[in-house]
Amino acid sequence: MAYLQLKGVVKKFNQVDVVKRLSLDIKKGELISFLGPSGCGKTTTLNMIAGFLDVDGGAIEVEGKPVHLLPPHKRNMGMVFQNYALFPHMTVFENASYGLKLRKVTKSEIHQRVQEALEMVNLEGYEKRYPKELSGGQQQRVALARALVIRPLVLLLDEPLSNLDAKLRQKMREEIVEIQKRVGITTIFVTHDQEEALAISDRIAVMNKGKIEQIDTPENIYNNPQSAFVSQFIGEVNQLEGTVLETNGHASNIRVLGSSFSLPEVNIGKGSNITLFIRPERIRISKTIREDQICYESTLERKMFLGSKTRYILKVENARLIADIGNSELDPATLKEGSTVYATWYSNDLFTSSKEVVS
Amino acid sequence: MSSKIMTQKNVPLTTSDTGKIRKKRRDILLLLLPTLVIFIFFFLIPLLFLFINSFKTFDPILGIGESWTLEHYKKFLSDTFYLNVLWRTIKIGLITTFISILISYPVAYYISHSSGRKRNYLTLLILSPLLISMVIRCYGWVILLSKNGLINDTLLRLGIVDKPLTILYTEFSVILGMIHVLFPYMVLSIVGSLERIDSSIINASRNLGANPFKTFFAITLPLSLPGIFAGSVMVFSLTASSFVTPAILGGPQVKVMSYLTYEQVAVILNWPLGAAIGFILVLISTITIVVYSKLLTASKKGVAIQ
Repeated sequence: MAYLQLKGVVKKFNQVDVVKRLSLDIKKGELISFLGPSGCGKTTTLNMIAGFLDVDGGAIEVEGKPVHLLPPHKRNMGMVFQNYALFPHMTVFENASYGLKLRKVTKSEIHQRVQEALEMVNLEGYEKRYPKELSGGQQQRVALARALVIRPLVLLLDEPLSNLDAKLRQKMREEIVEIQKRVGITTIFVTHDQEEALAISDRIAVMNKGKIEQIDTPENIYNNPQSAFVSQFIGEVNQLEGTVLETNGHASNIRVLGSSFSLPEVNIGKGSNITLFIRPERIRISKTIREDQICYESTLERKMFLGSKTRYILKVENARLIADIGNSELDPATLKEGSTVYATWYSNDLFTSSKEVVS
Repeated sequence: MSSKIMTQKNVPLTTSDTGKIRKKRRDILLLLLPTLVIFIFFFLIPLLFLFINSFKTFDPILGIGESWTLEHYKKFLSDTFYLNVLWRTIKIGLITTFISILISYPVAYYISHSSGRKRNYLTLLILSPLLISMVIRCYGWVILLSKNGLINDTLLRLGIVDKPLTILYTEFSVILGMIHVLFPYMVLSIVGSLERIDSSIINASRNLGANPFKTFFAITLPLSLPGIFAGSVMVFSLTASSFVTPAILGGPQVKVMSYLTYEQVAVILNWPLGAAIGFILVLISTITIVVYSKLLTASKKGVAIQ
């Protein structure tokens, strides 16, 4: 079923493992993002798939055939580089036809396929231009056309949008997804931008320190992070430290910030410490005590107007909580900085990361 | 070609803006001034005098006569002896340049792919011929190449030859000596252009299906042409104008333009003819370099040579 498989892939630089026994199955036609901070091994992994780096252990297979021992020019992987890596001494046409000429495709077919590829990326009429005569976005399109025209097994995108300005980045990422779906090509998209990954991916592999922390759909990554790292890396999160007061097998009574509440489905030993997370948009603010929800008395320290929503910084005991509330839901003008308000949430808005529960 | 990308938004300039720009330009010109002064006083003006004097008559007492004439140019261009010297000078220059490219490129490629201490030592090693005096280095070659020199001695003793080979005082020995001094210039300028090639461009070529061999000829070599050109200009013009090396390793048998000029100016004291020969050398060198750059630019568009 899996189209591209990484089986326990290892990469060492100077005796240090930068990719640690990484395994991953990618389905045909899927768009997978490698998301993680710099140094997490995402680009290293991509370079191993492309063949620019040798694997120091494990295997990479496409449709069950190992490819990790092939040199890069025999792998038939299409790559778009972060800086596009267009050949500066060749025109757009020459750049796009480079891979086809090497494949001994007939002249007329080269012409036709390059034409199609350039049409796909909206660059008809630019055949005779040189890369230096193109804008960043246009260079990006040429790089994409050049990679797709060879009909590669897998399309590899190495932070392709990081050199573009914010507006163009959003437009290009939509175009890339559209083209990817139209061609139906299996794609790996390396990025450190979580918003980008959430917006375009079928699945996201969140990477940290050479390992995949979690691989899942964007929704699950955001709503059910499986580790402390994922919950902190994806989106913003409030972190609460608590102690388990008692537990009865179905629910536990947990003491957090001076008061306690019951939390279902948490079952760890009495007296042990637990870390709880809650997204800023899950915290609500009330001017009165709410008995139906978990409720903390707090001081509204600051509010920041962010357009459609307002960010409230709440101080509870010694801890600060961030709450993001839509301005249509709550008019920020009715709350004064320094006043006492109640931060409330439902117990199912809280999540622990499974790793912490296990340990 | 570049007009499309040069379009900028037309921001109206205020008078204080133009004043500032003018001041900035003046400041930049100021940086150029010391070099410009040296260039004008020690190169352009002497060259102008050379040019003017080459049209003066020869006076056996004063050297340079009073009246104007074209006879020196006529003499040079109608005498096969002089034309042979000119052709030999250009030939030695071209062969030296060509062989320098061939032996320098692999070295430059190796240096540009090494790093750290190794790279520093290699660069120092390459530069070492430049640290030794030109004369000393040439006499070193004389010891090796002469009739009773080390090479002939060894060949005779091993019985490979019956009588000593004539290696010294040939075009070969001049070219050998020239390459020895000048190839560092070629290596360094090729290293410079190889380093400017982004490694991801090489990876892109590999990724698209080109093996290392094809990648070299389709990507690396064309993109390093500017370095080859810069090195060629240096090596060719330094060879064509060199005096010491051809004088010691070539002697009177291998006369080149600079030797001819020296003879006219310092021995025969015919300054105007010396000036004409010197000026012809400058002119021919310049033309050769311009033609060469045109050929290179025509072969690969998109790479800026110059």
